[in-house]
Amino acid sequence: MKQFTFERNQRTFLGGMMVLGFICLIMSYFAEPAVIADAGIHQRFWSNFLHNATFFTGMAFMITFVLAAFITAYSGWHVTFKRLWESISLFLVPGIVLMLILGIGNYMGFHHLYHWADADAVASDTILQGKSSFLNNNWYMLGTLILGGIWAFIATRMRKLSVQEDEQGKEVSNFAFHRKTRMWAAIFLPIAAFTGPALIWQWIMSVDAHWYSTLFAWYCMSSWWLAGCALTLILIIYLKIKGYFDNVTNEHLHDLAKYMFAFSIFWTYCWFSQYMLIWYANIGEETIYFRERLDNYPVLFYGNLVINFLLPFLILLRNTTKRRYGTLIFASLLVLIGHWVDYFYMIKPGTLITAKEAAGHSHGTEAAAHGAVQHGSSFVEGFSLPGLIEIGIFIGFLGAFIYFIFSQLQKASMVAENDPYLEESVHHEVQVYE
Amino acid sequence: MSAKYKDVLFGLYDDEVIMMNAIKKANAKHLDIMDVYSPFPIHGLDKLLGMDESRLHIVGFIFGLLGCLVGFLGMTWIFTSDWPTIFGGKPYWAIPAFIPVTFEMTVLFCGIGMTVVFYIICGMGFGVDNPVLHDRITDDKFCIAFQTNDMSDDGVDGLKGFFDETGAEEIHTKRI
Repeated sequence: MKQFTFERNQRTFLGGMMVLGFICLIMSYFAEPAVIADAGIHQRFWSNFLHNATFFTGMAFMITFVLAAFITAYSGWHVTFKRLWESISLFLVPGIVLMLILGIGNYMGFHHLYHWADADAVASDTILQGKSSFLNNNWYMLGTLILGGIWAFIATRMRKLSVQEDEQGKEVSNFAFHRKTRMWAAIFLPIAAFTGPALIWQWIMSVDAHWYSTLFAWYCMSSWWLAGCALTLILIIYLKIKGYFDNVTNEHLHDLAKYMFAFSIFWTYCWFSQYMLIWYANIGEETIYFRERLDNYPVLFYGNLVINFLLPFLILLRNTTKRRYGTLIFASLLVLIGHWVDYFYMIKPGTLITAKEAAGHSHGTEAAAHGAVQHGSSFVEGFSLPGLIEIGIFIGFLGAFIYFIFSQLQKASMVAENDPYLEESVHHEVQVYE
Repeated sequence: MSAKYKDVLFGLYDDEVIMMNAIKKANAKHLDIMDVYSPFPIHGLDKLLGMDESRLHIVGFIFGLLGCLVGFLGMTWIFTSDWPTIFGGKPYWAIPAFIPVTFEMTVLFCGIGMTVVFYIICGMGFGVDNPVLHDRITDDKFCIAFQTNDMSDDGVDGLKGFFDETGAEEIHTKRI
């Protein structure tokens, strides 16, 4: 089957996921944990929003990045399933809109996710003043709008050329559409490589406004790509069971699983390098990040390593597990959820501190200046660990994400018929003895 | 091998595609190919020759594990009992600091161990003089070799006929 039909029951199921997520999102607006309820800033709602919006937008971003890298590198093997990746990359458009809501929120004071956006806090804080030329509302807004807009523009451009190639590819000579796509891909790569970190610093790292790490962007990007790779595997297997993607064989799944295996190690490399350098240098303003997480989030801290490194490493080590649907789906779900938890662990502790400070301010305890706030080791619902509401919101965003992918998938043929590398991809073979 | 030498009948082909087709024919006729030589690795050749999966990666895993343990336990022994030293106020048993060393030792043991084992099982190494069937095998020719020690003349003629019909450029015999 070359044309994807978005069936009624799929729409209903994904719609149900979205409704569940929406209900949970509303609930999180009111179910503020007691410690920070006094602040009245609905931190649980906004931090969940930031967490899921960045997670899914970033996944689309990294899928676009990898697709562009493959096209630039004359790669052929991915062509049989490239329509899926193109559909995912288009999520950049709604994803950037989600991030713009946060950007507008900075001006309007919808949320208090970022310590640097709080004018009172900046006025009495020299470190935040020093960073204010980058960490400010205009940069956040314009950066998201312009840089994110460029990503979304190039992603839609590449998709459009690819679909045009299907329709008119035979009429033009010298693979004109493919060459144009490659030009856009080559333009996208350096832009994405430089602007990706800039937006990661704005969106995620600035949650802990005093802290910085030069490795942070690599770490985030590898996390996004792993989540995207895992979701790709799950969707390919689902679509194969539904009867699509005849040309996507175990060989393609094997190579995708190799990517997942290798990048799980790369992710650990980034994670560990960041941790070890900070641990070794032992500079207070850097170690505070890990001190906070080791003291108050030990389950997330160690669980992160188990679920994102140890288990994928051991499961995907052998050839046979990379070629079986059962083990692949298990490992992919593990990696997808694991990296969602990874983002939870990056975002929640910082936002909780900001919320606690806001709660302290509203009581008039100005003495609780930044850094001096005492964080008890008490469990805070929705922050210390993902609660049921958080899981519901994840399901909702995932449903919306897949709904978007499927609705894009049905707009073009599942097989990129006139792609010059299609034939190579159909015959892709990883030599394995079975 | 009872005899100390091998009589080898081999044919040289110009192109790997022609040679691969010849191997398929030889398999169909149940000819017992001694070995196939090529200047470069050919995709799918080992499947055609019915070779089993290489077990070299198991060697790699064992050596990697060994290196991992040597690195980690070695560092542990050195810095906790042999010569305890304090670096930057860290404890003696500073696990994060040992991990880069552990990692490098794993890679080193794995790499060297696999190379040495590979050389041994292939019968290569310093001072080992391996007979070369034909110089151009290492350049631009593809070779199928049969062992003809105990073979009748008819059998040898049959093999020569096989080389002729599958398009071999040259046919040679050699005692190695």
